[in-house]
Amino acid sequence: MISRSAFQRSCVVLGLLGLSAFLFYIGKGHTLLLDTNAVTLDGKELRSAETVEVSIDGKEPESMGRAERVMVTVAGPRHRVSIEVVSGGDKKVEGRLSIPTFMDTAVVSIPAILGEAPSRSWVTPFVPPPSEEAPAEKMQQQEETPGAPAPAPAKAPAAPNP
Amino acid sequence: MNSKLRLFFIENAVVILFILLIAVAIPVSGLPRQFLMQEILMRLGRNSFLVIALLLPIMAGMGLNFGMVLGAMAGQIGLIFIMDWGIVGIPGVLLAMIISLPISIFLGWLCGSIMNMAKGREMVTGFILAFFMNGLYMMIVLYAMGTLIPIMNPEMLLSRGYGIRNVVGLDGVRQCIDNLIPLKIGGLKIPVFSYLIIAAVSCFIVWFRKTKIGQDMRAVGQDRAVADAAGIPVERTRIMAIVISTVLAGIGQVIFLQNLGTINTTASHEQIGMFSIAALLIGGASVTRASIPNVLIGVTLFHLLFLVSPMAGKNLIGSAMLGEYFRQFVSYGVIAMALVLYEWKRMTQEHEARAELRGGAAPAKGAKGGAA
Repeated sequence: MISRSAFQRSCVVLGLLGLSAFLFYIGKGHTLLLDTNAVTLDGKELRSAETVEVSIDGKEPESMGRAERVMVTVAGPRHRVSIEVVSGGDKKVEGRLSIPTFMDTAVVSIPAILGEAPSRSWVTPFVPPPSEEAPAEKMQQQEETPGAPAPAPAKAPAAPNP
Repeated sequence: MNSKLRLFFIENAVVILFILLIAVAIPVSGLPRQFLMQEILMRLGRNSFLVIALLLPIMAGMGLNFGMVLGAMAGQIGLIFIMDWGIVGIPGVLLAMIISLPISIFLGWLCGSIMNMAKGREMVTGFILAFFMNGLYMMIVLYAMGTLIPIMNPEMLLSRGYGIRNVVGLDGVRQCIDNLIPLKIGGLKIPVFSYLIIAAVSCFIVWFRKTKIGQDMRAVGQDRAVADAAGIPVERTRIMAIVISTVLAGIGQVIFLQNLGTINTTASHEQIGMFSIAALLIGGASVTRASIPNVLIGVTLFHLLFLVSPMAGKNLIGSAMLGEYFRQFVSYGVIAMALVLYEWKRMTQEHEARAELRGGAAPAKGAKGGAA
């Protein structure tokens, strides 16, 4: 038989764990890359307007041209995006973004939102381009390994700790 | 009347001395009044919580809790984790406080248990314990984080791949408590929410004193032997006082650092104990008696001296460093003075009690003789 005080303590601990999980969920920060590059969805190319103004959660709108990326930081999983076409029409689109909790950096496709594509294609994870070693470093590696048939393979970027 | 005035001056010697010092130093420093007021408003919100954390151990007769540094370490560990996980804003601050809770409770229990083995020498025990735990904290932060404890954000790690960098920016949570309820009066920014938190914890302390456990703490603080004879679990009560103090110190350190906006991983916690204790003593508290007004007066006076002494030193002697050395001399000196005064008072009281006993025997004899 569990004692009353042990039950109360367990409830407090569980409550704190639940609160921690909730705080983690609503407080997780994300970096959003607002992207106006053209995208191809189901074989159809969607392009952004010449100039658009993008606002996240009613904050100061960012003015963006074509093929641009603007970085904004937000907290929490759900956000309201508002896009106003400044040039070539008077279109205004509003939508709701849902960012997965463990996606630190996400690319938000403005053409996909403007083109009224399905909402699952609005947000994609950001994949950093593979780091290229500077030519000088490659030459140095070759010098350090005389007689080696080929330059040493490019060093992989340091993976974050698990 | 004259003896009352004398007693008032003796009781409030430190406060009066500091008010006089500041009254001289403010005009000499030449700092604008607006700047001083803004800084004091900000520092009251930043530091008061930490100083309030010292009240319960004093009530329980354990003196000034130098072991509060342990709670500050727990608060910092909480902040390091939320920065690593990328939790921002108020949820981040709350999560850091929750993470600090179990660590603070464990460290407080450890500190209280050790202090129970060193009754009567709690202050020096807490002081040395803080040094010991600092070594353990360094091992966790500089070695275990990034190896045994996963750290996802490589920017927080030292270039060798493990250990947290010396300075971690708290951009995601910077001043989020202070700016939660924005209020400006006469050009002065007032951290309303920080004040509400301080008011809440002050109310908690006042309420706690009236509870059963609060009364037990007071009884233990007044006389351990009598409390023990009355059936109060003395050791458990003392541990509880230290645990609550350490938990409050952990939360206080989170509030303190969110205001600063940066953690000095290896040093932010080190001087917290000394500064908080100095502020409390400057506010008129003693080793055995402290209250909320002592906290507020002490933080105001101590930080005013903090602000004006470098400039006053520069204007008087031509070197800001001398002013800063003077401030350090005063802040550490006041702790020494308070401890000496306490010991002197205690010895005087013991001496008077002995004299009274001896003197009490004589009239008894006389009385006896008279009766005969």
